[in-house]
Amino acid sequence: MTKYVVKRVLLAFVTIIVISLITFFAMNAIPGGPFNKEKAVNEAVIKQLEARYNLDKPLWEQYILYMKNLAHGDFGVSLKNNREISDIFAESFPISARIGLIAAVIAIISGIVLGSIAALMRNKWPDRVIIFFITIVTSMPSFVVATLLLYYFCMVLGMFQAFSAGQNMTLLPVIALSLSPMAYITRLTKTSMLDALGQDYIRTAKAKGVSPRKVIFVHGLRNALIPVITYVGPMIAGILTGSMVVEAIFNLGGLGSKFVSAITNRDYTLIMATTIFLATVMVIANLLTDIVYKIVDPRIKLD
Amino acid sequence: MKKKLVSLVLVATMALSMVACGNKAATNGDKASSGKAPEVATTKEDKTTLNIWMSSEPAHIDPALNSSVDGGCLAVNSFEGLMRYNDKGELEPACAESYEVSEDGLTYTFTMRDGLKWSNGDELTAKDFVYSWKRAASPEVAADYSYLAEIFPSFTYEEGLGDEDVVASEDGKTLTVKLGAVCPYFLDLCAFPFFFPVNEKAVEASKTDANDPVGAWANDAGDNFVCNGAYVLSSWNHDSDMTYVKNDNYWDADSVSVTTLNVMLTAENTVAYTAYQTGDLDFIDDIPVAEMEVAKTSPEYVVLDNLGTYYASFNYNTGLYKELGLDEEQAKVFRHAITLLIDRQYIIDTVGQNNQVAATSFIPAGCADGNGGEFKNKDYYSTDYDANVEEAKSLLESIGLFDTASDKLTKDISLTYLTNNSEGNVKIGECIQADLATVGINLTIDQEEWNVFQETRKAGKYDFAREGWIMDYNDPINMLEMYTTNSGNNNPQFGKDSSKKLDWSKYDSMIADIRKEADLAKRADLMHEAEDYLMDTWCIIPIYYYNDPYMIKDYVKGVYGTVEGMKYFYHATIN
Repeated sequence: MTKYVVKRVLLAFVTIIVISLITFFAMNAIPGGPFNKEKAVNEAVIKQLEARYNLDKPLWEQYILYMKNLAHGDFGVSLKNNREISDIFAESFPISARIGLIAAVIAIISGIVLGSIAALMRNKWPDRVIIFFITIVTSMPSFVVATLLLYYFCMVLGMFQAFSAGQNMTLLPVIALSLSPMAYITRLTKTSMLDALGQDYIRTAKAKGVSPRKVIFVHGLRNALIPVITYVGPMIAGILTGSMVVEAIFNLGGLGSKFVSAITNRDYTLIMATTIFLATVMVIANLLTDIVYKIVDPRIKLD
Repeated sequence: MKKKLVSLVLVATMALSMVACGNKAATNGDKASSGKAPEVATTKEDKTTLNIWMSSEPAHIDPALNSSVDGGCLAVNSFEGLMRYNDKGELEPACAESYEVSEDGLTYTFTMRDGLKWSNGDELTAKDFVYSWKRAASPEVAADYSYLAEIFPSFTYEEGLGDEDVVASEDGKTLTVKLGAVCPYFLDLCAFPFFFPVNEKAVEASKTDANDPVGAWANDAGDNFVCNGAYVLSSWNHDSDMTYVKNDNYWDADSVSVTTLNVMLTAENTVAYTAYQTGDLDFIDDIPVAEMEVAKTSPEYVVLDNLGTYYASFNYNTGLYKELGLDEEQAKVFRHAITLLIDRQYIIDTVGQNNQVAATSFIPAGCADGNGGEFKNKDYYSTDYDANVEEAKSLLESIGLFDTASDKLTKDISLTYLTNNSEGNVKIGECIQADLATVGINLTIDQEEWNVFQETRKAGKYDFAREGWIMDYNDPINMLEMYTTNSGNNNPQFGKDSSKKLDWSKYDSMIADIRKEADLAKRADLMHEAEDYLMDTWCIIPIYYYNDPYMIKDYVKGVYGTVEGMKYFYHATIN
């Protein structure tokens, strides 16, 4: 196991370096630059700025310089507003992660519970209600959900303030973020639970007189969770790093919107930082997923 | 693209919900579910807090580095220059108590107000202005607006501002400024953020290392953020909100009754509009296009004049003309015809929707001529659309592209209109497309992401593109000088092809002459000549003059704005 983890971590480094290389050269290949303005800035000023941020050096030299600084934990400064990228992450990631974590937990728990109920009460009314509900949720993208929530809870019911300085909403963005993954987990759980319950070992367990509760939870659910885990790992990584749409609608100031704005602004340092960060979170999530597989199903061989 | 989709859906869902709730309200008269904030909100309980929205997070709130209008609004409410604008849009002395101008108009002597203080209590003197102006103009700081320092004779982009042009007296009471040429808008510049003072101690203390010429002092709220205006930044949750509180050390603090300004930071005008509807915002600086029709009927809807022109420009050197078999003169006639084919009022009514005025000149109506009058004194073409179309047809016929007898083009004409992919700009492109189709010209709209669009346009890889300019200060030179040969805004590529007959060095020298001219009446004449010369190319196709709509709750009084788009909140009162 340890050997496996070490191997995976080393592989992760290679993955991240490859990703950083691709991102670096791809972003420099797109037309446009960080200092473009509708009112053109004087050439001399642009030259100064390029020199300040080392953009006047050859690309490969810029890349090596960037990676060298990164190795020292220095992400550089944003080309748009000259702020330290580490500061930008330190303030925006916790906002996204907090909302995302709550949403992920709610999505996982309610998804598994609803999915199990639907499977166990197949074709009875609870199953029908749940499936009806998740079909609606699945067909509504998060920006529609978020807008409707904003509209009904803030405007019609007046339960929350649409804007309040210094305060971030929690409940509404959590709902907006959790609904869609919850629906997906419900469907996954239901299908794989039905599959698991039809297996020979369940029949054997029942024949041996194991209590129905134990059959469902220990033998059924545990085996049904494998596909769910496959989905949940990357889902958590995605949800933690924020959603551009939900953050924009609830004015959260999280990390999600930076992924897009960095590219529109050609804020090269921020593009690199967000990409490398997301890649790292993804790699960790995948590694954890694999380890959880092993715990849930000892038959799975990691190597 | 994604963002556009988001706002579209936002608007659509909001509109749908409005309809749904409107019906409900009609049947049971339940106010809470009428989909609107309580309409009779003529008073507000908290008389000292104003919640406002202008735009997304500003890149800089350092007045020297800011180059956006929304950032400028924050600057004018937290910093103050030698001059400021009052609620009538007139200049009045601010940090300066009075000023004198020398006979030749080249030397300004400002006497500083007594007892000026920074927000941290330090004394503010003329010496702070010397430091700040030199800093703003320095090559290390590399500000977007560095070009404003070109009014000083010693200024160069390589060396910045020399010691001799801006001098403070030993006691810090007077500031003497020497200009290179008569500058009728110099006092306007004294009220412009680029020329606001910044606190030397705070700026220098916030520099992290030798490679940081700017300093992080204005990156966050905190002790380093020292200002001299009505409000001081007390908290900044990036990309979410900012809070400014009253600066008790401001010389005019007695007239500031709103003590807290909460600023929402979002790029989504639909979200801000919702917060305005719920009463969580008192002021919004922009209204979603889809809501405009409803918003316009509200007594809280205000439209200010703005100095700027929305226009399109032709590339002077595009290969299109050769394809159509047109020589240089004929190409000019062709562009003239296109200018006449555009139904400006339709664009205003369907896309602009703010009762903008159809533009018939490059320099916007309302712009001063620097000599005490309004600059605009003629229309380069009529606003009678039907007559224009007829004239366009005969122009096209004169260059062999149109046959009036059959009312048809004699050959296929296809050209491309380049715009960035934001909703309003594309819609205007579609209007132009429909207008040109009436004579059979086929216009393709090419949408590019904003940043790519800038590059393509600058490189001259287009036939016809959207343009727009809001003036930084109230003088025509601000718009005329962007078309000199080497200007970064010379998107039509004037003078960039030496084989052509067009002598653009003449335009360059006209601009140079305007900059040197000391006689203001003559200067105004020269600027008219330059505009004529520019318009005569028919490369510049004015569409409408910008204006500036916003919404403000009726219990808020005393908020005002300038033609440059700045909004002043420090004299606001809440009923």
